[in-house]
Amino acid sequence: MFSTLLGQYSRSFTVLLVAIVVVLLEVFGVRSAIYPGLLPYFEWIKYSSWIGIIGTTYGSIYATVEAAHLLSMATIGGLVLATDLRLLGVLLRDVPSETVTRGTHKAFSIALTVAILTGIFCAAGVGDKVYYMEVFWIKMLVLLTGACFMYFIKQPLLNSKPHSEINPWLIRLLAVTSILIWFTVAATGRWIGFS
Amino acid sequence: MTNEKKWGDKEIAAFGVAAVMFVALVSYWVSEVDSTVELLTLAYGSFKLFNNPLVF
Repeated sequence: MFSTLLGQYSRSFTVLLVAIVVVLLEVFGVRSAIYPGLLPYFEWIKYSSWIGIIGTTYGSIYATVEAAHLLSMATIGGLVLATDLRLLGVLLRDVPSETVTRGTHKAFSIALTVAILTGIFCAAGVGDKVYYMEVFWIKMLVLLTGACFMYFIKQPLLNSKPHSEINPWLIRLLAVTSILIWFTVAATGRWIGFS
Repeated sequence: MTNEKKWGDKEIAAFGVAAVMFVALVSYWVSEVDSTVELLTLAYGSFKLFNNPLVF
């Protein structure tokens, strides 16, 4: 009986398991135990790695890569707004939502890859600064969970069947949560730049 | 023919994750607004919305 349920609801059980593991890691202080040990890596990436040395030595290269980072983030923002506002029935109402969600996903993946690669370079240049910033860790956490949400939860559901067969309130919840996730990634990113 | 939309594995997982993330992110931003208001109150004695706190 349990194995049947496990097979039938494998994704839901995986989500529950991940949530339990995250809570246990927090309760047993694993995160706070790992944190001090990460400082040498952040110092190394700024002062000893080639991306850190390029980033701190050549301002023009840092500014160029940062511009690419901002453009890729802007692309993500635009794609997320176009997709999620379509799911909410605000934009592009004459285009099927399935077409929009499938059509924007590849560009989203490319923009996210560029944002992550350029983001590593940008963070390397200020590694010893961002290590101490709570907002940097919030951004990383939301970016990681947001990417997992997009690739393992939202997109598989939206691609699995016509959207008319999915509960409309669930689609609205997914769209609003997605906007909130990428708004937080963008806002915390600017917060890092402002600090 | 029925219009009922059945909740399968993907729907349950999506609802669970979306609900938790939505509540967590809204709580985060509300706490940020709260701490900002607290900071302004500490700095200027009082803080009123739509009222410039720099003007005493």
